[in-house]
Amino acid sequence: MFSGAFRERVRNSWVEMRENPARAGLQALGVILGVASVLGGFSISDSQRRRADELYVRLGGLDKLNVQPNPIVNDGRPTALQTANLGLRAQDATDGIDLDKEVVAGASQIKGATARVRSAYADQERRVSGIGGEFLATEGYEIAEGRPFSNEDLLYGAPVAILGTEAAKVFFPHGDALGATMRIGGVPVRVVGLFHERVFRFRKDQNNIFRWRNRIIAVPATLVTRRFEGDAYQRLDRVTFKMRDVDVIAKFSKGLSGLLTANHRLQQDFRLDDVAARMRRRRSQGDAYNLIFWLSGILSILGGGIVNVNIQMASLKERVREVGVKMAIGAPGREIFKEIMTEALLVSVVGATVGLVAGIGFSKIITGAIGIPLYMDPKSFVFAFTLALAFGFLFALYPAFKAARLSPMEALRYE
Amino acid sequence: MRPIIETRGLTKTFGNNGVAVHALRGIDLTVDQGEFLALIGPSGSGKSTLMAILGCLDKPTTGSYVFDGNRVDGLSNPELARIRNQKIGFVFQLYNLLPKASVVRNVELPMLYAGVRRKERRRRALELLERVGIPEKAKSLPSALSGGQRQRVAVARALANNPAMLLADEPTGALDSKTGHEVLELFSELHRQGNTIVIVTHDLSIAALASRQVEIHDGRVASESKVA
Repeated sequence: MFSGAFRERVRNSWVEMRENPARAGLQALGVILGVASVLGGFSISDSQRRRADELYVRLGGLDKLNVQPNPIVNDGRPTALQTANLGLRAQDATDGIDLDKEVVAGASQIKGATARVRSAYADQERRVSGIGGEFLATEGYEIAEGRPFSNEDLLYGAPVAILGTEAAKVFFPHGDALGATMRIGGVPVRVVGLFHERVFRFRKDQNNIFRWRNRIIAVPATLVTRRFEGDAYQRLDRVTFKMRDVDVIAKFSKGLSGLLTANHRLQQDFRLDDVAARMRRRRSQGDAYNLIFWLSGILSILGGGIVNVNIQMASLKERVREVGVKMAIGAPGREIFKEIMTEALLVSVVGATVGLVAGIGFSKIITGAIGIPLYMDPKSFVFAFTLALAFGFLFALYPAFKAARLSPMEALRYE
Repeated sequence: MRPIIETRGLTKTFGNNGVAVHALRGIDLTVDQGEFLALIGPSGSGKSTLMAILGCLDKPTTGSYVFDGNRVDGLSNPELARIRNQKIGFVFQLYNLLPKASVVRNVELPMLYAGVRRKERRRRALELLERVGIPEKAKSLPSALSGGQRQRVAVARALANNPAMLLADEPTGALDSKTGHEVLELFSELHRQGNTIVIVTHDLSIAALASRQVEIHDGRVASESKVA
């Protein structure tokens, strides 16, 4: 393909393009606009999606499998078996980890309660989060000061707490929370740690959607189940398994489902929530937007192609005489065809390259305006470029074919 | 001497919705190598049609045409293009240069289609411009040239591939008499150098410069005269 003859042809087309800058420029303009809008559209939707992915990472990652209780008695009296069921417990978490240590990185447990929370400065009714296992890693919390809960704290339900920034500010406005004592329900609890503030804004000037996470008052889950809310079985609100790899979740969840069903006396009183699968479903909604971008991109490149054909028609008179001259001095029809096709491809390549640059600028401006970081997928570049080339090729076929079929005499006499 | 052109019973009929127009009605013509021939005749006589066929721009309806030793009347379009490229040099009344291409590139063009390498093309094109007397115009656009200079460019282009024959169609038709004369001088000079030249004209004073005149009338050879 890259023989000397081809190089010669490309060089010749390049010279002809430079000789006819107006014609080539107008032809390229359609390609430039089309490519820029395809690339811009893709990049903006990719950037949005990338931002959504970041949100999930900040929430502790996509590689999670949630287990939550699911009421199976909707109506009437529960059967004896249902009544005897033990529900979701810490046992389920440890059994789940033991099921496949290769793929499970850890499990967190949550048991919430509502309690009256008092300090020297405030007295409010609050949600209190009982946490256990690998809660911090799974949910994306980090300790700023103090310490996390020790294994003993979690095992024995020690009266200790870690506060989010908002909770710390409300109950200890002078910044002396660490080491202080507060009362949760009737229990005096010592503050052993403080969480980092959590901030995530989808766009620059939007609200912090993690605001409520800073309200957290975390105590050991065992403390909640023993002293505040719960029952003899120490049931939990949620167990989350953190996986080592997103791809094994589906397989693991099958095994886990079997295990839990056995643990729960054959009652399907739980539901599994694969976070990655939920994310994929969300993404497939995003595909609709992608399709719109595709269509608008294809339409604008199509429009560019029609502009091209128009310009070809407008310069037809000039072109036909040119073709006549070339034929008279010995250019065969297929050489004329190749010349026009080469020129069209060259216009497309140049136009598409400029279009890619324009598309980058366009995407920067838009993402800058809505305040999200720009992310561009190399695949979008390839797609936009290929599309422009394909359309450039298709739209040149007809004029090139027509020109190649001219008889030299007619072409020379064409007025 | 070997004939460069030999036609027998050449006819050309244009069919227009059942109305047949007989442009040529049987032309027998022989042109020897190194001849300077003038094809004369009034407009509508068929001389332009004859020129197109002799120049392999068109095909005859019937009859045989042997050009430079080969039958060409039945050849395909690409084969005819190859003959035009390698063996015939055209000079047209309205120059027919590519308006946006520089003078030197116009001269290079036939060599491009002949597959001559770039450097060689450039070298030979400049040499030809020297030969037709306008080496300083190589980088100009045709629009910056006078009519006489443009026709010189056209002659240089026609000579690019060392053709067996130069075919000129009213080469002075668009020029004033002085520049026209200069261009004709160029043709005479080329003839003296051994080139075969066929000029199509309706101007008898131009035809007088040729070594032989063939008059076409109503698609037939009406008369021939030879200057000693």
